[in-house]
Amino acid sequence: MQEWFESVGKKFVMAFVEGDRWKLYIKGLGVTLEIALFAAIIGLLIGTVVALMRLSTKRDGKKTIWARIAGVYIDVIRGTPSVLQLLIMWFVIMKNCHNGILVAVLSFGINSGAYVSEIVRAGILAVDKGQTEAGRSLGLSKAQTMLYIVIPQAIKNVLPPIGNEFIVLLKETAIVGYVSLTDLTRAANQITSRTYEAFMPLIGAAVIYFTIIKILTILLERLERRLRKSDNR
Amino acid sequence: MIIVKDLHKTFEDNHVLQGVNYHIHPGEKIVVVGPSGSGKSTFLRCLNLLEMPTSGEIWFDGQLITDPKVDIDKVRRHMGMVFQNFNLFNNHTIMDNITLAPVKLKLMSREEACENALKLLDRVGLKEKADAYPSQLSGGQKQRIAIVRSLAMSPKVMLFDEPTSALDPEMVGEVLEVMKELAETGMTMVVVTHEMGFAREVGTKVLFMDDGNIMEENTPQEFFNNPKSPRLQDFLSKVL
Repeated sequence: MQEWFESVGKKFVMAFVEGDRWKLYIKGLGVTLEIALFAAIIGLLIGTVVALMRLSTKRDGKKTIWARIAGVYIDVIRGTPSVLQLLIMWFVIMKNCHNGILVAVLSFGINSGAYVSEIVRAGILAVDKGQTEAGRSLGLSKAQTMLYIVIPQAIKNVLPPIGNEFIVLLKETAIVGYVSLTDLTRAANQITSRTYEAFMPLIGAAVIYFTIIKILTILLERLERRLRKSDNR
Repeated sequence: MIIVKDLHKTFEDNHVLQGVNYHIHPGEKIVVVGPSGSGKSTFLRCLNLLEMPTSGEIWFDGQLITDPKVDIDKVRRHMGMVFQNFNLFNNHTIMDNITLAPVKLKLMSREEACENALKLLDRVGLKEKADAYPSQLSGGQKQRIAIVRSLAMSPKVMLFDEPTSALDPEMVGEVLEVMKELAETGMTMVVVTHEMGFAREVGTKVLFMDDGNIMEENTPQEFFNNPKSPRLQDFLSKVL
């Protein structure tokens, strides 16, 4: 028993303490969070714009050219693996850009935008049609009705699935090792190959991801509860 | 004030309005009755183009509003509409519900709009609800607020789409009372309803719609006492 504890302790020291290896995890985590945060912001912006494009109709109720473009974008992004999108961004579209983080942020942002747009679209459609009709019947334009009446109500609808999308995004950044960025996952992997000991670094990285996401979940739940309150006032 | 010429509306294969012609004069209170599916709500919703007519013309105040070049948002400012399901903005207080459109459309300053709103709320006896949210009100209160919200735009005509159909029976009276008072101020009104008492008492004309057409049109007295078409006689025998 004592032997076992000693060997675990030794592995722990080797994985985290020796050569200040803990700094590598922190640095990796920084890269992961940086990419995830900025990609989430871009995804949210693209997603909202694309959702509005997709919902746009002509006076006779037919789809606009914008709606079609948005549809193609969503199809292409959802129809291809995100690793492949990242590689194409790195080796083809932005091959002259040496800022890997920027490439990753754009790639993940564009990827996330497709999923976010479908979430936002569903959230907008879930707002009772009567709200729009009431706004329009008062003489408000389509845009004003969206901005002052529909979108504020849609935000409440989309919060849970958006939170989910952020979580997926955060974990998906684990593939940036493909474009030679050292995020949390790659840092753990590098330490594994240096120490010939896989258990501690990999489990350690998993625990870090889990903790971050748990904190994110709690924050989102709180925000959601606060927004829901206005329903029962 | 509103002239409707050969109005048609189809939803896919369903020919809901089949060539409606009508002329609404200023100050008239037109009450539209008819069985469900007769096209009366669609007719009303076409008047402010919430439904785009498939063909035909609608003239409002001398302007052809079915012309695609017309800015419909401007036209709608002058046509109030009250819905069956109230459709108050759930994310705004009562005060904001009433002042949102006049302020955002830059017709009034915030202060003017608030003052005007309080006056209107007082008229329907709901001044103390200004800071409440729609979810805190009863159906009857919501509908009275919805009427006030439309009136805040000082419309030339008010359209009512079955305003009492979603209410509990004991709340119907308070809404009809507000509508009656509004009628007395000389407002032009078009009301789709099942309240025959209201039609008889307030209407200047009653229309009977069936199969996407106006089947019969008359003064309330003639309409209820001497219905001419067998369809209307049959309808009245069921609802009265």
